[in-house]
Amino acid sequence: MAKKLGTQDRLPLPVQVLYILIILFVVALMGLPMLNVLAVSFSSIAKSDAPGLILFPNPPTLEGYTFIWSFVNLAQPFFNTVYVAVVGTALHVLMAALAGYILTQRDLPFRKAMTSFILLTMTVPNELTMIGIYAVNRDLGLLNTYTGLIVNGMVSGFSVFLMRNYFQGIPLSLAESARIDGASELTIFSKIYLRLSIPGLMTIGTLELIRRWNNINLVVTLISDMKKWTLPVVLRSILFEQTSTSGTSYIFANAKMAAVVLTAIPLVILYFFTQTFFTSGVMIGAIKG
Amino acid sequence: MQTHVWKKMKKYKTFYFLFIPIALYFLIFTYYPFLKGLVMSFQENRLIGKRPFAGVENYALVLQDTDFLASIKNSLIIGLWDMVLYFTLSLLFAIILNELLNKTVKKTVQTIAYLPYLFSWAVIGGVWALIFDIQGLANQFLSLFSVEPIFFLAQPNLARPLIIAMGVWRSIGYFALLYTVAIINIDTQLYEAARIDGASRMMQIRKIIIPSLAPTMKTILVLLSIGVLTHFDEIFIMVNPANRRKIGTLLLYVFETGIINFKTGTASAGATLVMVGTLVFTAIIRKLIRYDKD
Repeated sequence: MAKKLGTQDRLPLPVQVLYILIILFVVALMGLPMLNVLAVSFSSIAKSDAPGLILFPNPPTLEGYTFIWSFVNLAQPFFNTVYVAVVGTALHVLMAALAGYILTQRDLPFRKAMTSFILLTMTVPNELTMIGIYAVNRDLGLLNTYTGLIVNGMVSGFSVFLMRNYFQGIPLSLAESARIDGASELTIFSKIYLRLSIPGLMTIGTLELIRRWNNINLVVTLISDMKKWTLPVVLRSILFEQTSTSGTSYIFANAKMAAVVLTAIPLVILYFFTQTFFTSGVMIGAIKG
Repeated sequence: MQTHVWKKMKKYKTFYFLFIPIALYFLIFTYYPFLKGLVMSFQENRLIGKRPFAGVENYALVLQDTDFLASIKNSLIIGLWDMVLYFTLSLLFAIILNELLNKTVKKTVQTIAYLPYLFSWAVIGGVWALIFDIQGLANQFLSLFSVEPIFFLAQPNLARPLIIAMGVWRSIGYFALLYTVAIINIDTQLYEAARIDGASRMMQIRKIIIPSLAPTMKTILVLLSIGVLTHFDEIFIMVNPANRRKIGTLLLYVFETGIINFKTGTASAGATLVMVGTLVFTAIIRKLIRYDKD
């Protein structure tokens, strides 16, 4: 499309200049802080604490990273988060796919009722029921357990409908002929539907992994034992109430920013690997949601 | 007729069987907590054992609590500013970005702007702690105009603008991406036709792009309106004794009252009021933009 733009399609020069200035401004506003964080995280204690803007670590050092990883033991929350997010996401994807598949069966009696039953759960934001969620998890003995963090959010209406819409694009005749050949429903589900829906599964998986990795509300609702906290909650106390995380020793800016980078970077890497699925998921999510 | 349905249900029995865990999940972890919260809002604050019925006492209590009233104000100010700024700034950004002709540049700018949306609020809190530090980027910038360094994060008067700016920094790239997709999907024939009529690019933006974005704008407005009263994460990260009075939102109140101080009845009453508020507010927005009409 860009090539097709003729001369009369160009904006007047002053407007073009203004637009470019605005874009440069936005890039600086978004990019500089991120660069600043990254550079400080690779700086030495002395450099990171001295006045002056650091946009490039000179010389680069891993001091901040080793300090925060071993001394403050960020390793613990890091692996807590990996465990809870990965296991939780795997279960979430499986359950959502299963539910989506069930709702795709056109002749299934009570399918409409089942659909509304799930649709209704999407009307109230989770955070608004946090007291009830706390009470239910306490009654089930799930407070201060990883199981609690994994089980809550094991499936969501959003993901179910995303998968259902995805499955609806697969011709029913495929399942029919497999059925005639004597395939069981579970075989049809795993061999045909799951296999043909990898992009859809990747989409909800990526979205769910990000949601779980970044989750704060559920973690602070269910977990009071600091040893079981996940990265974002630990990061908060490293940044703003450090005495509780490191005892008496002071956490310098380079180590704080190393913690910020370690919390953010896995998702940035994930983003670059799953970009295509990811953008499509964002769209479907917003348009249907 | 009935035997017919029965026969069909038998044929599909595997599906009902597979639906059991899903139904159980939603019943236990979505429906039940919702109802439980509602019931607790009419019961006395008690953690264990029987909770006697308290009528509307919790509601009366919460509505007289100055902390709760202050949190309504904070939620409205932060929530509405965020809603308006996310909506307009991302729209402007998407329209301007669309005029960039170089695809690589466009893609790079988009990615940079989008990245913060991947970050946890705690990460954004870290970015804020660094750039609004006494020696940070913001003060360095101000020193160019010989402004004395400011303790940004400890200034009650700056607390709200800083929280709102945090949200804008994190979210406009994401919402701009939603608009961008809608712009890409505009039928190119519309531009051709406008060109034949001699419409300038400015005219095309005004008469083609903006009207074509109406459905996306409506969807985004509805999405945003649901979130107006439910700000929690960024507040939980940034709140401190100096700024609490200015940025303590409704959900922070609910969290601290119910989960930290165990006043579950009071907190549930607060949460229920937020729920009603959200329903009313979303309904008003839907009506105003005629969301359900077309």
